[in-house]
Amino acid sequence: MTKTSKILGMAFENLKQRKLRTGLTTLGVVIGITTIITLAALGEGFRVEIQQRLESGFELNVLIVFPGSFLSGFGQPFGPTDVDNIRNVSDVTHIAPMMTIPTAEIRDKNSSKLGAFTVGAVNFTDMQKMLPRRFQLMNGTFPEAEHNDTIVLGFKVAYRNGTALVNVNDNLTLIMTTQSPPYRVLANTTLRVSGILQEGGTSGITNFDYWAFIPLGTGAEIGGGEKYQIILVQVSEPQKGQQVARDIEDTFQNPYSISVLVPTSLQRQVDNILVIVTIFLLAVASISLLVAGVGIMNIMTVSVMERTREIGILKAIGAKSRTVLAIFLAEAILIGVIGGAIGILLGYGLSYELAGGLSGFIQSQQQADGLFQNPDRQPLGITPVFSLEWTVVAFVFAVIVCIVFGLYPARKASKLNPVEALRYE
Amino acid sequence: MPNILNVNNVKKSYRMGKVLVPALRGVTFNVEKGEFLTIFGPSGGGKSTMLHLMGGLDRPDGGTILIDGLNILNLSESKLAELRLTSIGFVFQFFNLLPRLTALRNIELPLSIAGVPEREALSRARGMLELVGLGERETHRPAELSGGEQQRVAIARALITNPKIILADEPTGNLDTKTGHEIIKLMKKLNEEKMQTFVVVTHDPLIAEEANRIIYFKDGLIEGIEENRTVTRDE
Repeated sequence: MTKTSKILGMAFENLKQRKLRTGLTTLGVVIGITTIITLAALGEGFRVEIQQRLESGFELNVLIVFPGSFLSGFGQPFGPTDVDNIRNVSDVTHIAPMMTIPTAEIRDKNSSKLGAFTVGAVNFTDMQKMLPRRFQLMNGTFPEAEHNDTIVLGFKVAYRNGTALVNVNDNLTLIMTTQSPPYRVLANTTLRVSGILQEGGTSGITNFDYWAFIPLGTGAEIGGGEKYQIILVQVSEPQKGQQVARDIEDTFQNPYSISVLVPTSLQRQVDNILVIVTIFLLAVASISLLVAGVGIMNIMTVSVMERTREIGILKAIGAKSRTVLAIFLAEAILIGVIGGAIGILLGYGLSYELAGGLSGFIQSQQQADGLFQNPDRQPLGITPVFSLEWTVVAFVFAVIVCIVFGLYPARKASKLNPVEALRYE
Repeated sequence: MPNILNVNNVKKSYRMGKVLVPALRGVTFNVEKGEFLTIFGPSGGGKSTMLHLMGGLDRPDGGTILIDGLNILNLSESKLAELRLTSIGFVFQFFNLLPRLTALRNIELPLSIAGVPEREALSRARGMLELVGLGERETHRPAELSGGEQQRVAIARALITNPKIILADEPTGNLDTKTGHEIIKLMKKLNEEKMQTFVVVTHDPLIAEEANRIIYFKDGLIEGIEENRTVTRDE
């Protein structure tokens, strides 16, 4: 043990004697490790952020069934038989069919337009059972089924910047037109505001802040029958989602005519993609560490040549080849340890620095793209996530790279013939 | 006196490009315990090669070399290093101290390699430094020492492991006459007072004068051996 510490001490002295050279060699390792740590922390932070968004945007036990597919576009809306078939699939605990009338327009009593994106016709009891956490009223009451002259507004339809545009019991005008030109007015009715939903806040499909809801009966009347564009399906537990989705598809003659969104599998897929991206980034970062390794090999080879005579002396006074090898390897290891440690610290610092910048950039991009125009939507923010495992892996990787690349010059040093080494000028 | 070293019909050639240059062409002699032996001759006569072989830095092409009864031809690389560490001390023409270490640390180095605890190693190194008359120079690095002082440090380093034999290759070759003489005097003193065996390679007749025995080397062969010299001290 004393011999090991002696060799390390000697190696340290040797490195100290050549400060600039040691510094520059170590810098390569520092850059490599800083990059790896930073990318790992940001990649993981991004993944966590996306996961949280997915979790808050979806109910994990609620599947969303809609006609058509992403590729073929919207298909024929579901009819009452489809609804019954889905209801009978095992592990389905509850379903809530919904009609959507996207061309609906709502005007208040002064005839100014309110900002509703979509008007949905639903059974309010079904919806409350389906989404107990989200489908809740802030003011007023849910209409009874027979009250077909009432409407429930999403939070941001009724409120803008904290001021109420509409209150419960106000009368509104609902204008519905056909979905394609020539636009034909289907309905023009006066509805009483029965209730206002609580604010959803986060993104996701089950955020109804910009929605308005009317009773199913009213929707059927206006739309000309029971034609559902969305069916929400509650499963007994989130893990059954995948199986239930398959079973639902099987109830249709052409399973490709419908799509089932399974939040858990969406979550998994997004997660897989993000993991792959992170691994790819880390692989690229690892290359920079390998480049640093080549730098170490280069410098050490020069160093061995310069110190040929010294190696000869060491051997002449009785140092074994193994000892010479150990001295040079110790230098490489020290470079790895020091470079790794500095790299980890810098990586931690840089991650926080970049996370702030990156979040700002993403937000400005989102605004520029008009993707999320609503200013009070919670902006995407990345917080770096450091794991002990990753830090240890990066550190060990740094030391191993240094050993691997230091081995060749160290072996070269240990194999020197002492007589020739002593003669070296 | 028993022999510490037996050299028997030793041959060694060096490859210079494509040509094989014979350095030793069959050399036989012994080194006795406690003697001060000089190998004398013109440069290129194979003296240094002989010294390297005697110190186990290299192996002969033919013949045998026994160091304290051990045939170095049969020793592994690592055993040979051990032999150099425990039985042999080298003194070189260009001192060959490690430039970054202080005088004390240079002397201590062989003990450090041998794994002697630091405290003991340093105290022994200090004793050696006193013995070669450089007690005040402990913390000086080689560059801060004169040539003569550096060679004294080198002698102290060779001596520290209590080797059976000290091999010196032109130890005065890089020193002025006066300093060179002082170095030889120091070695003589160690030889006489501590019964330390010395083999000194030189082409300087003044140094050869000090030896108990002179082996004359020329063209890789022994030209003659001058035995049983009594050295008249000049002071």
